Amino acid sequence: MSAAASFDTDRKIIERYTDQPAWLPARVRAGIEEDFAGDPVQLYALADLDASLNLAETWVALGPNRIALARDEDDAHPVVRSFPRTSIREVRLEPGLSCSTLCFLGDPDEPALARVRFTHRQRRAMENIQFVVEQQLDGRGVEPRDADDVYADAVAAPVRDAQALVASNDMAVIWRLLSYLQPYRGQVAFGMVSAAMLTLLSLVPPVLSGWIIDNVVNPVQQGSLPIDEGLRRAWWGVGAIAGAYALRQACAWARLRWMAVLGENVARDLRTELYEHLQGLSLSFFSRKKTGSLITRVSSDTDRLWEFLALGVVDVSLSVIQLVGLSAVLITIDWKMGLVMTLPVPVLCWVTFQQGERMNRIFLRAWRKWSRVTDILSDTIPGMRIVKAFNQEEREKQRFDARNRDVTDEFNALHRVWTTFWPILMLFVRGMVVLVWVLAVPRVLGDSPAAVTLSSGDFVTFLLLMTMFIAPIDIIGQMARIMNRATSSAHRIFEVLDTQPQVVDQGDPVRLEPVQGRVEFRDVTFGYDGVRQVVRGISFVVSPGEVIGLVGPSGGGKTTVTNLIARFYDVTGGQVLIDGVDVRDLDTGHTRRQLGMVLQDPYLFHGSVVENIRYGKSDASLEEVIEAATAANAHDFLCKLPNGYDTIVGERGHTLSGGERQRISIARAILHDPRILILDEATSSVDTETEYKIQEALDRLVADRTVFAIAHRLSTLRRADRIFVVDEGRLAEHGTHQELLAIEGGTYRRLCELQQELTGSRDAARPKLTPIEGATT
Amino acid sequence: MTKASSQAVAEGEKGAEPGGLRLWRGHDGRLWGRATASDDARSVRVCRLFPWSQPSEYVSLRDAEDEELALVHRPEDLDATSREALEVSLAEAGFVMQIESIDAVEEEIEIRTFSVQTSQGPRSFQTERDEWPQPLAGGGLLIRDVAGDLYAVPDPDTLDARSRKLLWVFID
Ligand SMILES: Nc1ncnc2c1ncn2[C@@H]1O[C@H](COP(=O)(O)OP(=O)(O)O)[C@@H](O)[C@H]1O
Ligand SMILES: [Mg+2]
Repeated sequence: MSAAASFDTDRKIIERYTDQPAWLPARVRAGIEEDFAGDPVQLYALADLDASLNLAETWVALGPNRIALARDEDDAHPVVRSFPRTSIREVRLEPGLSCSTLCFLGDPDEPALARVRFTHRQRRAMENIQFVVEQQLDGRGVEPRDADDVYADAVAAPVRDAQALVASNDMAVIWRLLSYLQPYRGQVAFGMVSAAMLTLLSLVPPVLSGWIIDNVVNPVQQGSLPIDEGLRRAWWGVGAIAGAYALRQACAWARLRWMAVLGENVARDLRTELYEHLQGLSLSFFSRKKTGSLITRVSSDTDRLWEFLALGVVDVSLSVIQLVGLSAVLITIDWKMGLVMTLPVPVLCWVTFQQGERMNRIFLRAWRKWSRVTDILSDTIPGMRIVKAFNQEEREKQRFDARNRDVTDEFNALHRVWTTFWPILMLFVRGMVVLVWVLAVPRVLGDSPAAVTLSSGDFVTFLLLMTMFIAPIDIIGQMARIMNRATSSAHRIFEVLDTQPQVVDQGDPVRLEPVQGRVEFRDVTFGYDGVRQVVRGISFVVSPGEVIGLVGPSGGGKTTVTNLIARFYDVTGGQVLIDGVDVRDLDTGHTRRQLGMVLQDPYLFHGSVVENIRYGKSDASLEEVIEAATAANAHDFLCKLPNGYDTIVGERGHTLSGGERQRISIARAILHDPRILILDEATSSVDTETEYKIQEALDRLVADRTVFAIAHRLSTLRRADRIFVVDEGRLAEHGTHQELLAIEGGTYRRLCELQQELTGSRDAARPKLTPIEGATT
Repeated sequence: MTKASSQAVAEGEKGAEPGGLRLWRGHDGRLWGRATASDDARSVRVCRLFPWSQPSEYVSLRDAEDEELALVHRPEDLDATSREALEVSLAEAGFVMQIESIDAVEEEIEIRTFSVQTSQGPRSFQTERDEWPQPLAGGGLLIRDVAGDLYAVPDPDTLDARSRKLLWVFID
């Protein structure tokens, strides 16, 4: 399903953005497989630099038994050279600025089996090969996955992480955006009709003015019409003009009002859909995307679409109609003068468009310089203490001043360009008006009455209509920019909406009521990306109520193991079972409600302490909240705060110290009363005294639940029933503290000894320093 | 390791002055070295300390365990063989593509695509839109793409008019 679609996107990205094939060319593959005596290619990568560091195309392919280097010569058979995997003694990746080298080394006194050079673009794919070969050297196999998909994923990843979709046809995006107007069809129609009426009504006053001159003013002055009749007609005409203006403004009002509301509704629909979709996405999505960029998608991008939907859609479509209509009217009044006015219009639109493009470039340059100004700000304001400590204020002032001047020059250049452009354009338009006069004067006056070929009324109509040309030209010139802004906002929104959650519940999920807390791993393997496995074949059974300490070097995979229990990710091999049921068959939301987490950096939402404690159980009574806070050792310090439990904690709980925030998050977990509890280095970032308080709170929290506690300081694991040592994605040792200490040369024993040494020397160095609680912020 | 290295010692060792740093290219194609004549030979990788401001000086030689074998202040002070061996490695480690002309720069939603001719061949690459080329000391420009590859424009003034026009947005 979504996986296949994502590899398709990967291939599209490679084809569109890189200069290399989206997969191993068939000819080369055939050549390699012939060399492999029929064995399949399991994994491949492109070495895009040759020995003299020129761009080239050499494929490195891994088969079950051999590794091949292959190059496609244009006419002949592909050139394939291969060597057995068993002849490899060592594989080394040497990174450089832009050229990395992968060395396959054989016997020490032999030349290297192969050295391939490549740019960073190929690096992930090459690392996949390196990983598999290293595993083989360690005597382990790696289950092969689809070689094409792995390659496409690895090569497309850098571009995909920056922009997850291939910028598709802009028209397609606009159509998709317009489909959001569907529920508001009636309103759209109403808006459009009002706008069309508006345009039509605008034509009425000029036409009436001409009529009054030809049928009232001139006849009366020539005496062919009695003055009474003339006045009567004139007042009718003026009345009609007034009526047309009034109706026109009513239409303008209706149009703005309806479309503005409509645009807002669509923006709201998009925001809601986007936010709901975000809530459903897997954690892997959020680790790829910058928080700021997701926030702007929900906020400013939807806002920009309002602009487009409320004003852009109608303005643009009507401007086109208006121009065409005006031209038609002018040409019917008088074709010669009509052509003088209409022929230059396409040119004017094109010139305005070109001007827009030019402004874009200047603006981009100004924007780049602007970002250098803001860089200084975001650099020095948080670092003000250092600036002052090193007495560098003067230098910072000068640095800022230089960049500030620089950006001002750019903006002034920008202003010079547009301030010159518009007067010149208007001069040109006025020139057309003058040309119309030049053509008209002889014809309106004529040598004799018979030579008058243009009535003065028609001429007045003409003059008034001409003034209506300018606004639509301006809008059409800006159309490209309006569309551009709208499509890029829409693209950014659709990119999120089109991302499928990687963790999805199957049709009829099992609900465990309640969860007992038995957790089992059956030969679980898992990798975040590529073929590199972070968890490699872990198996264990944890009974309900057991407290498990997870220890091991950082990067070993402890957090990943807990992520798999919470099903933030799905395993790539094996099974994770809770109470004997595969987590993929469980109702994920329901299970997570019975699962609690206390993380190293506790996250508090903006709001009061009581709201934060109640986060997982919004109907908890105040007694329960106080009870939980007391159990978490938070009650006492909360009482000291002037606003007590109603204290608002900032975005990230900035007004509280790390230890205090941690205790609030423990209170939250206690109130949540989970069956399975995960503590990920919950006490790592606080001082010893606070740690003691937290530890006390944790001891109360762990009672009667299955607990997975990750800790750096082994002393905090004294309550653990069993200890798992996770190292390089494996369960290296497991057993009770005593059992593990008894293992001669065991990892746990070594870790214990190391820490005792460290704490011993640290305590010796600072005998009298007792940290003050709350002093760490 | 020790066994491997003693065997990997190649012709470069002949006539070694005792005491000094020696470097040579091993049979396996890698750079090998020993800090003093009595040390074990180790395969090393080069690490420029100032790749942009001082590319030809201050090179750290690091072994497989990432320990520093030696810090070479000026490669020209080494003996001929060592210098030659080092220079090959330096060229590889310091390699970045050199832009000769620019065919197109396209802005997209989140990325900007450059299509260029480099001295190594034609290439298209992408940067993030708010990621700007870095000015180099001496007037050059360095562009880093989303994958981490680097592209240098050593002297923008010598490019053809069209490339210069496309680059105008990015240089001061
Ligand atoms: N979101 C992620 N994407 C890719 N790799 C990850 C991610 N999280 C962790 N890793 C990698 O997985 C390995 C194990 O990480 P982790 O489980 O956090 O280790 P530990 O908690 O034991 O320190 C590390 O090599 C880490 O770089
Ligand atoms: Mg961790």
